Order: sequence, then structure tokens, then C-alpha cells
Amino acid sequence: MTFLDFQALSPLLALTATILVVLMIIAYNRNHKVVCTTTVIGLFITLATIPCVIGIDPVQVTQLLVIDRFALLLITLIALVTIAVSLLAYDYFDGNSGRPEEFYLLLMLSALGGMVLVSSTHFASFLLGLELLSISLYALISYPIKGLIPLEAAVKYLILSGVASATLLMGAALLYAGLGTLSFEQLGSGFYPEQATVQAYIVIGSALLLTGLAFKLSLVPFHMWTPDVYEGAPAPVTAFVATVSKGAIFALMVRFFVLTGAFEYQSILVGLSVFAIGSMLAGNLLALMQNNVKRMLAYSSIAHIGYLLVAFISGGITGGMALALEASIFFLVAYIVTTLGAFGIVTILSNSDESRDCDALENYTGLFWRRPALAGAFSIILFSLAGIPLTAGFIGKFYIIAAGVKGTLWLLIATLVVGSGIGIYYYLRVIYTMTLKSTSTEPIRIPVASGWVMLLVTATILTLGVYPTPFIDMLGDLAKSLT
Amino acid sequence: MNEASSSLIPLVIYFISVIGLVALVMCLSWVVGGRIKRRPATGEPFESGIVSVGTAQVPITVEFYMIAMFFVIFDLETVFIFAWAVAFEELGWPGYAAMVVFVVILVLALIYEWKSGALDWGIKTRTGLERK
Repeated sequence: MTFLDFQALSPLLALTATILVVLMIIAYNRNHKVVCTTTVIGLFITLATIPCVIGIDPVQVTQLLVIDRFALLLITLIALVTIAVSLLAYDYFDGNSGRPEEFYLLLMLSALGGMVLVSSTHFASFLLGLELLSISLYALISYPIKGLIPLEAAVKYLILSGVASATLLMGAALLYAGLGTLSFEQLGSGFYPEQATVQAYIVIGSALLLTGLAFKLSLVPFHMWTPDVYEGAPAPVTAFVATVSKGAIFALMVRFFVLTGAFEYQSILVGLSVFAIGSMLAGNLLALMQNNVKRMLAYSSIAHIGYLLVAFISGGITGGMALALEASIFFLVAYIVTTLGAFGIVTILSNSDESRDCDALENYTGLFWRRPALAGAFSIILFSLAGIPLTAGFIGKFYIIAAGVKGTLWLLIATLVVGSGIGIYYYLRVIYTMTLKSTSTEPIRIPVASGWVMLLVTATILTLGVYPTPFIDMLGDLAKSLT
Repeated sequence: MNEASSSLIPLVIYFISVIGLVALVMCLSWVVGGRIKRRPATGEPFESGIVSVGTAQVPITVEFYMIAMFFVIFDLETVFIFAWAVAFEELGWPGYAAMVVFVVILVLALIYEWKSGALDWGIKTRTGLERK
């Protein structure tokens, strides 16, 4: 390890140092406000180290990690989302019973896992990042001591996530058995061997690997855990699971496929297409039947990852990864910002002392008359999820379809269009509920920090939807540098 | 793929024989095994020991689990330190530095556990969890 390596790793090191500092603060002076402030300051320091790395990238730090533009973009994104979730969680836990301090510790550990994932180029660092991310999440999901729902969600996530990790490891073991290496790059150089036996190892290994990833990304048919976990987890944690956890794993998948070139196997592409079609259809159809906003958003996130796969598959079919990467990264960013916003609204309306979060659809009745600003922000977020113009979601979906057309994936595009059509119904149903006459006159308090987070999230959604050019230019350069 | 699928045949045979073996063992133990007729006194110890009272699933204080967990965590740390100690010469100073960082983090974790009262026995002495 040279000095350059440490400089490249500075975002990760800064976050690790923050975790230790926060640990000591909790040990000596248990104070919610101090802990939350230190967490946010530490995450801003993490962000501040990124400009120091931009000049020297890409750096391959040992065999395990690579810090390049792609990793830096996602590290920035993860840090920003973690700041937002910390602030939302501060208001969610503030003044309530229980001890909220360790929440920030676990949140930062989870974010660190995500950052390791997005920069890993080796199965060892991949697994380390994944486990760091998930093990912190088990504790986060069951964090509030308020009845059995969070506990049930955590146990479900623990077991299914463990199974997924085991499947993934088996896949990695088979790839190792076939090719004798765990580094993605070295796997790539031997991915098309002459001997059929080795080919069989690779196909089965990749299938197991994809199954594990699909579990974590909640793609159909491995999506069963999603609605229950999203419903049971406290709202800020749900925001984190839906954005950072999925985004980091998708980024890892992109890196694995780009470095190994696993696309050349027809069977892998067919498998991915089945995942995509299933997710788009099942996600949207099941969301129709939900009367719970968190469950509805869970199914909608299943569908969104399905859309994301369309761009990804088109890159494999055309061989032109640049457009596919540009499209999928833009869509991923739009998805992360929008989903963060949606669960942010749920968080603002909920309180960690109540036995349930504010997630039943009837709780949103008349929100327009009670809190117009909040309802307006939620409408913009829902429009973005539905893909209506002037929002980030529209540009993202446009990009996905453009990439799909380039790859002539007509079946996938048709499913996407049908899925989006169904989607509009259940998104608009929430907006319709919000416009109804209010039954409750109880005032809704919007906390300061959460209010600012929501304002920034909504502004980002609109900016990406109205004037996306600078961001698209940046992504174009990034996609070229990656392929 | 023809050659590939033919190379899978041993694996398939292996799986089938595993399932067959398990099924065979279970059937045999059912056929050959003795039958016990359940009477009221079947479960009682016969002229030895004391008659059991209640179930074994009594609530156990959470401290036992905490100690067990700490044991697992710190035991695992020993494994890592041992792996480093074996390769001490080869790793040199960089390895030493890495291990110092590792042990410092471990000490910080121990301080945290101590201060938050996780090592105290009994709820009355657990002071660290009060909010200030």
C-alpha cells in the first residue's frame, strides 16, 4: 500500500474514523443531538475528501478495491443519502423513549459496507462489503422496540438474506473451481474457455451468483421478503434499504458484468430478461392491491429495479455498454432520489413512539388541506415514480426506453410500457386520497431538518427533470471511462 | 453444451443417490425400529433420579447471551491475530501497523461495551444507559 492508495481510500477512511469517534461519544456522553450532529459532520468530511481523489483516479488499491469515477459517484450518492436518512431519523426518534444513539452508528457501518461494495473488484471485498451492509441492516430494521412487526421483518430479512449470501458464495466457489481466481478482472480473461466442463462451472456459478444478487435486489421471483420488510422496518430504515442497499448491489452487478463480460453467455441474458419481465409485471400488478403506502412503494421498487435491468440487458445485447450504463446510472440516481423522498414523507408523518408508522392509505386523506407543502412534495415524488414529464423519473424512463430500442428488446419495452401504465393508477390513487376531504383536524408538525431534506430532494427531482444536461454530460464521460 | 451436460451426469447420479440413501435409512429405521406404546409413565425416569418438573425452557437472564456474544466476537479477533502472528516475519512493519489499527479499534469497542454497562451483571448496576 503506497501513499496514493491511502489517498484514494480517504472517503472510506474518513467514514471509518467518524464511526469510531461516534462510538466514543456514545460511550462517554450519550446525547442524541450530539451524536446526530457528529454523524452528519463526519459524512460531510467524507464528501469533502472526494475532490482530493478525483484528480488521481482511477486507482486500483490492492486486488480488492478500485476507486474510479463510477465508485466515487456512488460513494457521493451513498454519503448524501445517509446524511438525509440521519436527519430524517433525528426527527423520527427525537424526544421519544428508547435509545436512538446507536442507530447512527449502525447506519454509518451500513453505508461503509455500501461504499466497499461499489468499489470492489474481488469476491473477498464484495462479500465483506455485502455482509457489513446487511448485518448492520438486521439490527437497524428491528431497532425500535415497539411491538412485533419490526422484529418479524428483521428475522425474515436475516434468514432470506443469509440464504442469498450462501447462494452467492456457492456461485463464487463454483467460479473459483472453474477458473481458479476470485478477482473479477482475472475471471474476465478466462470467461470463455474451450473445455465444456469449465463452461458448465461458469454457467452454474453465474446462475447462483445472479440468484443471490436478485434476492438482494428483490427481483421476481425472489421478491417475497420485500413488502414485509419494508412495512416492518422503521420508515427511515426503509428509505435506506430501498436506496443504498439496492443501489450498491446494482453497482456491484454492473462492475462484475463489465469486468468479466459475462454478457456473452446467452443463458445469463435470458435469465436476466426473465427477472426483468417478472419484476415489471408482478411488481406493478401486486402494487395495485395495496392499501398500505409502504407496501405499495415496496412493490413499486420491485418494478423499478425491473426497469433498470432493461437498460442493463440492452448493453449486453448490443455490446455498446456506454449508452446502457449512462441510462442505468441516470435511472438509478433518479430512483434513489425519488424513493428517498417517498419514504421521507412517510417518516415525517410517523413517530418512533407509535406502534405503527403512518403507512395506511387512509392516513393520507386530506393531506392537501392539512399540509399543502408536504402533499405537494409527495405529489411531485409520485409523479416522478410514475414517470410523468418535468420530473427525474421521466428522463430516467426515457433513457431506459432509448437504450431498450437500441438493443431492439421489443418484448421488454412492451412490458415496461404496460407496467408503467398500470403504475400510474396506484400512484395517482394516493394523490386522489390526499385531495379528499380531511377527517382529522389534528395538526401535523413538520420538523425543521426533515423539512429541509424534503425541500432539497424535491428540488433535485425537478432539476434532474427540467435541466438534466450537466448531469447527463458527466454520466456520458463516466460511462466511457468505465467501458 | 453436449459435453458439458454429459459432465454433469455424475453430479446428477450423486444427488439421486444421496436422496435415495436418506430415504432408505429413514424407511429402514421405521420398519426395523422398535415400537413404544405410550403410557402415562413412559416418560418418567424408571426407579432412578427425580421426577421432572416443568419444561427446560425457562427464561434466562440476558446477561448470559451478552457474555456468549462477547466471547464469540473476541474469540474471533484472536483468530485474526493468530493468523497475523504466524506470518509475522513476512508481513513486517506494514503488517504490524495494520494489526495495531485492528487492536486499537478492538479496544475502543471494549471501552464502549464497558461504558454502556454491557459488562455489568444485574440491571441495577447498569448505569451507562441513562439518558443525559
